[in-house]
Amino acid sequence: MQPSQIARQVAAYPLALLLTLITSAFLYPFRETISLAVVALVYLVPVTLGAVWWGLGPGAISAALAFLSFNYLFIQPYYTFQVHNPGDWVVLAAFLAVAFVISELMGRTRANLSMAQAREVEAMRLFELGTTLARSRDEQSVAEALAEKTIAALLADRVEVSIETGANTLTLTRGMKFTRKPDVVTPLQAARGLIGEMRLWRIRLPIQPAEERILQTFASQGALALERIRLSNADRKARVLEESDQLKSSLLSSVSHELRTPLSAIKASVGSLRSGEIEWNSDARADLLATIEEEIDHLNVLVGNLLDMSRIEAGALRPQKKPNMLAEIVGAVLARMRSQMQNHHLEVDVRDDLPLVNVDFVQMEQVFTNLLTNSLKYSPPGSTIRINAHQRDENSLLVRLTNQSIPVPESDLERIFDKFYRINPSERVTGSGLGLSITKGIIEAHGGKIWAENLPDGLAFNFIIPL
Amino acid sequence: MSNPIHILVIDDEPQILRALKTILTAKQFRVSTAACGEEGLALAAAEQPDLIILDMSLPDMDGVQVCKELRTWTETPIIILSVRDGEKDKVAALDAGADDYLTKPFGIEELLARVRVAFRHKNQASGGGRRTRIRTGKIEVDLTGFTVRRENVEISLTATEFKLLAYLASHAGRVLTHQMILSNVWDPAEADKIEYLRVYIRQLRKKLEDDPENPEILLTEPGIGYRFMADD
Repeated sequence: MQPSQIARQVAAYPLALLLTLITSAFLYPFRETISLAVVALVYLVPVTLGAVWWGLGPGAISAALAFLSFNYLFIQPYYTFQVHNPGDWVVLAAFLAVAFVISELMGRTRANLSMAQAREVEAMRLFELGTTLARSRDEQSVAEALAEKTIAALLADRVEVSIETGANTLTLTRGMKFTRKPDVVTPLQAARGLIGEMRLWRIRLPIQPAEERILQTFASQGALALERIRLSNADRKARVLEESDQLKSSLLSSVSHELRTPLSAIKASVGSLRSGEIEWNSDARADLLATIEEEIDHLNVLVGNLLDMSRIEAGALRPQKKPNMLAEIVGAVLARMRSQMQNHHLEVDVRDDLPLVNVDFVQMEQVFTNLLTNSLKYSPPGSTIRINAHQRDENSLLVRLTNQSIPVPESDLERIFDKFYRINPSERVTGSGLGLSITKGIIEAHGGKIWAENLPDGLAFNFIIPL
Repeated sequence: MSNPIHILVIDDEPQILRALKTILTAKQFRVSTAACGEEGLALAAAEQPDLIILDMSLPDMDGVQVCKELRTWTETPIIILSVRDGEKDKVAALDAGADDYLTKPFGIEELLARVRVAFRHKNQASGGGRRTRIRTGKIEVDLTGFTVRRENVEISLTATEFKLLAYLASHAGRVLTHQMILSNVWDPAEADKIEYLRVYIRQLRKKLEDDPENPEILLTEPGIGYRFMADD
């Protein structure tokens, strides 16, 4: 119970007495003209009010004073506690009985009401704690919620929550400093053992059993929340592990094939050149050497892709952003890929008076290279590939690359940017299966976004680069 | 050759050292090799090579650091070897005084071309007689006459355009980082205003190149800077 409540309780007694005295003063002038029954009835008013407002004690005191005043002031002989008329005895006795019954009844109702209110407050606090805990995503915030709500609910001076987190202990305190031992210590007991404890200090009043119950309820709520967080963390870790495991095995199966093919070609060519059995003419020799060089370049691209992918996955792809001219980037890519694009028509509309874009030149080159390589792979010879760029609004450029490849099922338009996605898995298309997903990673690292859409006669890749 | 050109290769990977030694020796160069930065610095001082090929990742010290230490006492051309995505390191090394860079894996023709350019640059610098007329294709830049001609027809350039072109042309063949160009042509205080540079390069290309979209004179070095290609 709080000090202010106790003060109010003590003050209620004089108030109840005062109310009775006022009633006496009010009745006194009429004592010759009104009957004793009326006096008795009016005296029930302060008794009832006292019991309703202040509870059983003040009601009873009020009843006792009313009885005495009634006898002293209104029953003859006046100003004595003697009673001459036997009928008056009956009135007095009946009054006393009724007054006590009323004050008792009223007082009990009131006690029930205040208990109900206390329960409601308790339920409210518990509800608040519950919702705060449900929102908590880590142990730190559980500890904070627990400490703060406990201080508020129990008016504690200090609460300390300590949680065992594997090797070390997370300790969180709220309230003022104390050197002495805590007044109450409650364990945080989870299904799988003790995970910490709560320590509480309160100077003014000892902890009541009811309050200790509240503390225990809080502690068990806290322990549940901590357990939930630990389980969900463990679950997430397990899922990440599983995913990276899956990634690794699909990476291995995709990459080992991709790596072995060029290696076999190189090994075969070198072996042939070194063997003394055949005299190679210069054309055949040049051919074998060209194969070796091409396959080595292929391997180099593949290794680069794998590195890029692992950087993107690790969040370590940090663009070296500088103001660049998009036309220059596209020009550099086209110059490098000219020989591969002999069989396709190319229409480029990237004006050199577009605003400069703040991008990593090398990574942006990679974006265009990957999109072009993809388009070349999936669109028939003789078809047209278009690249155009225009300013979308004040803050961004929209780049669009269209080709005449086969359409992608609508449901898969997003998935083509996933690692190792193939429109038709049985189809043998060479490549690491990483190109588009690296492209997406780069665009996103630049704060942009990329998406694909089907056209009546092909596919469009669109991406936005912020200015 | 009675006095073969001497190249020092500093790289910690034995396969690379072996391959470069074999190839460069076959090309009539004299080759020394060092497997770490300390050894490389010691050999450079002891043998005074004509050119240094330096790998950026060495076990004992940073390639940029090696560049800086070499530049405290020698002007010997330095070509650095770096991996893809090593743009930051390349720029740092070029700013520290390296002359050129190659991205691993590189073709041997590419390496030999860079070696030739570095020598030409060295001979020009040491020969005292800096060229004042630089030819590239149909274009001739006259550094002392402040004129640029295409097949003897003068091309009009603004003062800044000429200043930029003159700086690039007088370092023909060399990679110049954005910072170097900006602080030499504009002002060191404006070394990060790359957008200026892009705009002027675009204008120069429009005036000089046959096809400004596929430049052959003012080449972009992605993420690093520009290079002016001159005739031999």
